[in-house]
Amino acid sequence: MAKSTSSSPAQTTVVQTLWKAYNDQTPDRLKFVDAFLFFLMLSGVVQFAYCVLVTNFPFNAFLAGFSSTVGQFVLTASLRSQVNPENKDEFKEVSPERAFADYVLGSIVLHFFVFNFLG
Amino acid sequence: MILPLVPFLLLSFAAILHAKSSTGDSVLVVLEPSLDQNFSVFFDGLRARGYDLTFRAPKALTPAIIKDDVPSFSHVILFAPETKSFAQDISPQSLVQLLSLRTNLLIALSQKQTPLSSLAAEFSLVLPPPGTPVISHFPERDTPASIFPVDVSASNPILSSTKAPVWYSGISHSLGNNPLLVPILRAPVESFATDSSDDSGAPSIADAAEKGGEGLWAGGNMGLVTGFQATNGARITWVGGVSVFSDEFANKEVIKGKPSGNAAFSQDVAAWTFQETLVLRIDETTHHKVNETTPLSQYTTNDVVTYTAHISGWDSGKATWLPYSGLKDIQLEFTMLDPHVRTALPPVKGSPGTYSTTFRVPDRHGVFKFVIDYKRKGLTALQSSTTVPVVPPRHDGYPRFLSAAWPYYVGAISTSIGFILFSTIWLGGDVREMKKGKTSKTE
Repeated sequence: MAKSTSSSPAQTTVVQTLWKAYNDQTPDRLKFVDAFLFFLMLSGVVQFAYCVLVTNFPFNAFLAGFSSTVGQFVLTASLRSQVNPENKDEFKEVSPERAFADYVLGSIVLHFFVFNFLG
Repeated sequence: MILPLVPFLLLSFAAILHAKSSTGDSVLVVLEPSLDQNFSVFFDGLRARGYDLTFRAPKALTPAIIKDDVPSFSHVILFAPETKSFAQDISPQSLVQLLSLRTNLLIALSQKQTPLSSLAAEFSLVLPPPGTPVISHFPERDTPASIFPVDVSASNPILSSTKAPVWYSGISHSLGNNPLLVPILRAPVESFATDSSDDSGAPSIADAAEKGGEGLWAGGNMGLVTGFQATNGARITWVGGVSVFSDEFANKEVIKGKPSGNAAFSQDVAAWTFQETLVLRIDETTHHKVNETTPLSQYTTNDVVTYTAHISGWDSGKATWLPYSGLKDIQLEFTMLDPHVRTALPPVKGSPGTYSTTFRVPDRHGVFKFVIDYKRKGLTALQSSTTVPVVPPRHDGYPRFLSAAWPYYVGAISTSIGFILFSTIWLGGDVREMKKGKTSKTE
């Protein structure tokens, strides 16, 4: 850590530039999606660490909890790519409303399975 | 009932009220005519205790001991130690058949080779060569060396009423390792079997003793009177010398002024042989979950189960079965091929004849058995087996939510709440408006 910060100021500037560009250029709506994605990732990491370090019993509960975060992450990420204005050309026939409706439907199905599998 | 048929018994008529044995009161005595000894003390004792004696010579044809495969008598006494040829219906085969039909046998042996001494080998008794009686020079006394007193072990439950030493004359035998054998009277440690009583061969016997040589018949490991309890409960007793039962020995004093123990000993031996004493049975066994009373047709793994057995002992005094709580070392096994649980089955205080234990059914499903297998020397073998299936819990028999899984539950619930919040805010406006504003700006 110390090495990277002291020896390569160029790297630090790269990260700073990236963070600045993200703050300036990303729409608030996508930032909001990113915050949710970050929360899901954190939740998944915590559950996986608990499974590895403490116990994987009951395993079905681990699978349900972990796959709910992973599944929600995938669904949210695909929502993000569909509503991103920069991808407009790729999703010509998918309006943001349609994308959100798909997302909600997929999420509800996901949660249905998760809660059935949890107990 | 059948008493008037038997003129012998008229004298003891008044004494007969019940059969004292648990299996019946008719006794056939096969008595050798040449036997000059008198057994009136022994036979009168039997009659006084309610037995119905019928006498027969070894070569007489009637009464038959087995008729149409049904034994004619409950017990048979064979006091024919020197008879070489019996009537056709008395053969080693028919005696074994009697035993398997639950008839009890009391058989006297002698130093002569007879069909009965060959039969003894089938019961794991190893007899000495013919013509070698057991003798003892101790203690010092005025009788020949072949007639000696034997101390009776006080701890032997079979000989509970025999207090004084017992006069003995006859042969000894060594015991095989058959677990059904019940030693009743052991030879004194100073005794040995020899073919001459004048001690001319003493040095060679001493030599053989030092070398632990083959053919040495000496010491306290030899048996004089030995019982054998068949797996069906029938009992057979082998006596090395018929004179143990004789009037002469019963009236002969061991110590001056004190009668010998022979009279009591012969009654004790007959009582055990004829299944009067040390006869037990399991009346009933029950099992149920603890704190319940009705037996279940199947149990679930890890259930706590109470098992109860009711055991009775035959009381010859009252001629009835009474609850018996005297067994301290009985065990219960819960087996599926192997015993998964083996636990003590102690008597319940305040409830005679009841033995009960509570244990946890193992965490293993399958077809289990409650097994009591109680075999002790001299006692009736107690065996009981009850089959019960043990099943795993039903699908709703497990705990639903476990504390160890709370991180996963929290993860799943927080994802759902996050999704709802996300959707609400997405639809609710602020971000949408801002985003719209921004996008319009960027556009």
